[in-house]
Amino acid sequence: MSRASVRFASIATILMLVLTACLGEDGQDGGGSAGDGAASATGPISIWYSNNPEEVAWGEAVVTAWNADHPDEEVTGEEIPAGESSEEVIGASITAGNTPCLIFNTAPAAVPQFQVAGGLVALDDFPDGASYIQERTGDRAEQYKFTDGKFYQMPWKTNPVMIFYNKTVFETAGLDPENPPLSTYDEFLSTAETLVAEGGVEAAIWPSPDAQFFQPWFDFYPLFIAQSGGQQLVEDGEPQFNNEAGLAAANFWRSLYDQGLSPNEAYNGDSFGDQKAAMAIVGPWAIKVYGDKVEWGAVPVPTQDGMDASEVHTFSDEKSSAMYTSCENRGTAWEFLKFATSEENDGQLLELTGQMPMRADVVASFPDYFEANPDYEVFADQASRTVEVPIVPNSIEMWQTFRTAYSESVIFGTTPVEEAFNTAADEIRTLVGGS
Amino acid sequence: MATTSATETAAQVARSEPAGRLSWGRVLGLAVLVLGAFMFLFPFYYMVVGALQREPNPGISGAFPNPANLTLANFGDINAQVDLLRTLINSGIFTGGVLLATFVIGLPAGYALAQLHFRGRSVVFNAMLLILVLPFQLFMIPLYVVIVRTYGLADNYLGMILPFAVNATAVFIFRQFFLQLPRELFESARIDGASEFMILRRIAIPLARPAIITAGVVTFIGPWNEFLWPFLITKQQDLQPLAVALANYISNVAARAANPFGSILAGAVVLAIPAVVVFVVFQRQFVESNLGSGVKG
Amino acid sequence: MAVVAPPRRGRLRGLIGPDPIGYAFIAPYAIFLVALFGYPLGLAIYISFFDYFFAAPGAQVARPFVGLSNYAEILGDPTFQRAILSVAEFILINVPLTVVLSLVLASTLNAKLPFRTFFRTSYYIPYVTAGVAVIGVWLWLLSRGGLLNGVLGPLAPDPSWLVSEFWAMPVIALVVTWKGLGFYVLLYLAALQNIPRELYEAAEVDGAGVIRRFMAITVPGVRPATTLVVILATIIGANLFTEPYLLTGGGGPNGASLSPVLLMYREGIEQGHAGYAAAIGVILAIAVMTISAINRFVLEKD
Repeated sequence: MSRASVRFASIATILMLVLTACLGEDGQDGGGSAGDGAASATGPISIWYSNNPEEVAWGEAVVTAWNADHPDEEVTGEEIPAGESSEEVIGASITAGNTPCLIFNTAPAAVPQFQVAGGLVALDDFPDGASYIQERTGDRAEQYKFTDGKFYQMPWKTNPVMIFYNKTVFETAGLDPENPPLSTYDEFLSTAETLVAEGGVEAAIWPSPDAQFFQPWFDFYPLFIAQSGGQQLVEDGEPQFNNEAGLAAANFWRSLYDQGLSPNEAYNGDSFGDQKAAMAIVGPWAIKVYGDKVEWGAVPVPTQDGMDASEVHTFSDEKSSAMYTSCENRGTAWEFLKFATSEENDGQLLELTGQMPMRADVVASFPDYFEANPDYEVFADQASRTVEVPIVPNSIEMWQTFRTAYSESVIFGTTPVEEAFNTAADEIRTLVGGS
Repeated sequence: MATTSATETAAQVARSEPAGRLSWGRVLGLAVLVLGAFMFLFPFYYMVVGALQREPNPGISGAFPNPANLTLANFGDINAQVDLLRTLINSGIFTGGVLLATFVIGLPAGYALAQLHFRGRSVVFNAMLLILVLPFQLFMIPLYVVIVRTYGLADNYLGMILPFAVNATAVFIFRQFFLQLPRELFESARIDGASEFMILRRIAIPLARPAIITAGVVTFIGPWNEFLWPFLITKQQDLQPLAVALANYISNVAARAANPFGSILAGAVVLAIPAVVVFVVFQRQFVESNLGSGVKG
Repeated sequence: MAVVAPPRRGRLRGLIGPDPIGYAFIAPYAIFLVALFGYPLGLAIYISFFDYFFAAPGAQVARPFVGLSNYAEILGDPTFQRAILSVAEFILINVPLTVVLSLVLASTLNAKLPFRTFFRTSYYIPYVTAGVAVIGVWLWLLSRGGLLNGVLGPLAPDPSWLVSEFWAMPVIALVVTWKGLGFYVLLYLAALQNIPRELYEAAEVDGAGVIRRFMAITVPGVRPATTLVVILATIIGANLFTEPYLLTGGGGPNGASLSPVLLMYREGIEQGHAGYAAAIGVILAIAVMTISAINRFVLEKD
């Protein structure tokens, strides 16, 4: 590079930086976030839901029903990919200002991030906002408020996490398929040993050992919730996972990994569906996936000394619907949101997808469904005792920090569990308390 | 410094180690090549085999297809979730747009960088090199903000194409190629009164055919295989290219299929084939000396 | 015939050079560079000095200026240090292997052996294939019950390849080497054309064997190509993202295969710390450019 061009390039760079600083990113746009008047505005809106085939069917049905009655307030529905990438898609979309009015696949863990980015509308802004949510969901609604006490999401559906087990494999291993010994840690461990030795499976249970931030929701977190009687990862800014209950749950998983009953290598596919694992820790949405492949049964997650099934709490694996600030016709959006979560449409959700609407008493509200599908009743019952992720600032980073500590201590055993958890707790306290 | 022409190039390729007798060297060479070819091609063979299996068989016996286990059902399974034809077309539009922009904008730019002298030329060249060095992820979110907010191009083929529009490697190839051509060739045309545009169109570009094909193949690979950017830019299913749809399929939907692994591989085969076909068709023209001219200095 | 220089028109020409038409030709590309890369790059560097995150349009958010604290935090972060080491490990395996294999393959291809076209095509095929497409096969081949372990039998490592802290990065390095070789073979083949045949003939007459000829003539003869290959491979290695992202979902066992760019993606896009991620990017870019300069210096000194 000649000296002249170095000079030229440096000047150009400085100019560019100055220009960028002046323009910034805030000065770039005129509008995007609608003002207060939008709260009552009506008109066409667009919504997103996940690309899970059953949810798509539900979404299309609800949209069609609404559009038939509201030709001036037409709703357009689009699919976005479910799974880990949905937060990235939504986050990028908020930045760009092209989010739809409602997204039916908003993960509670991402809500703080979206709120801080100015992407979410507080549903309390609507006169019947808070009351509608609390009436529909009952006590559990409290867990979905943000630190400022407002609802930036409406809890929509839950997939309470339970232990699925393969009845055929249990029989082969000489265990009782109708009353499997899975309620205490000791029982679970010895059952797991028997399954691997005699059941013809590679693993007793095969949760994903990957390092992404959301993986704890399907191994550590449900067991911690059960063992602690319903605590969240942090409560009032104080980490709880390194207390006695947390350590008990972590050491339980450590034993499973240590004895090779759970592999520390990821399985490419569904290990339970492919009959490589005898059990899975997952919610009722999986029933449609397993279909006729596996003869399954479901029990609550284990606790150290065993609890009555009617007392075990678990992780909710909940998805909320949220309204985004790019929405102009918020009046319509709110009305549509209420319509989509009405008893009738909640019932349709249940029928089409088997996932539990976040209603106060699901079993009592839909007696016909549960009579026809007794398999799902155990989940509906469990749904009344679910615990959510903490809705706190920096929640994704919090889960990532936790997962890294869990991975190195529990899954790979390179650090002692208590030490790793305490270090993580210190980091997390700073993250959620206010940095 | 004779003018490079197709025949000269062919002669250059032919210039190699003395041929003839079956020596220990030749046998060794052949052995190396065969081993190499096996290692390169085996995964593809395995991909095809896996795509055709009804029941996944990851063991050694799975490498030798059992006729009883063969089926086309995996292709049907993935096609049910991912419209293979539609996504292939989208990939084609995306890649075609990039190729077009690269040629229309990149050829004059490469020519200018090589044969025309003006102040600021090296700045542009160094900027281009800088782009080659930096990872795309550094730009990704600011670029997303720029394209979607400032230019308003979300859910749009143009939004997909723009960041990839002019492939820096291709411009580099053009420049290196044009550098090889002697200045006298163009000087005499200028003296005869031809304008620069005419020189570009009538002389430079026809000569550059091998470089164009080389750059074309190199440029094709990028957008055809890109799965992150279109994923961010488009939500609408019917705009997504196949690489994106396949990546999503792997992470989300595959578990539903009868043979999840087989259907993933079926999608992979469909994605891989056009790229391979394009390459095989053009590889005769994909002559080594074009790229290599940059290697001299 | 003597070449007549075009008439110079005084000062202006002196300032902008003899071929101002070049501006017209280069303009679309220059505009493209500024609009699509210059501005985002400037923005990325700018935000690296702030506690920055992207927000909805029009949202009023606090983004305090933090000077170099992002940079300080990154350099002191053990995860980042680990990522740098992983990438260094990758480069140490990938670059020498690439240079040696591609040169050997290129010179073998250069010889007049039968089925040359077939071999040439087969080496390029991994290069032209999508990462997404190939990942599936490799995941299967490398899994615990997969073909590679089946062939190795009792020699198969436990824990298996992609989950072993020791093997994860080397395995990725091998897969990436495999995938990229076609391109470098191409570069070397071209460079080989510039070695005069007479040199080989003379050496053969003098009784030099195949390997001796290779070491004494081929290797020094392609020195400029080697420089290019090393620099390119280093740059691509430093920017490694796709393979760790797809093959070891999220950074591998205990972060053994976490690369800096993957970390950047995780921080910037998953967790929304755009300023922090941008700082990682800047540090990485500076490191890469420094290493390239060093490589060039070392390899080209005579």
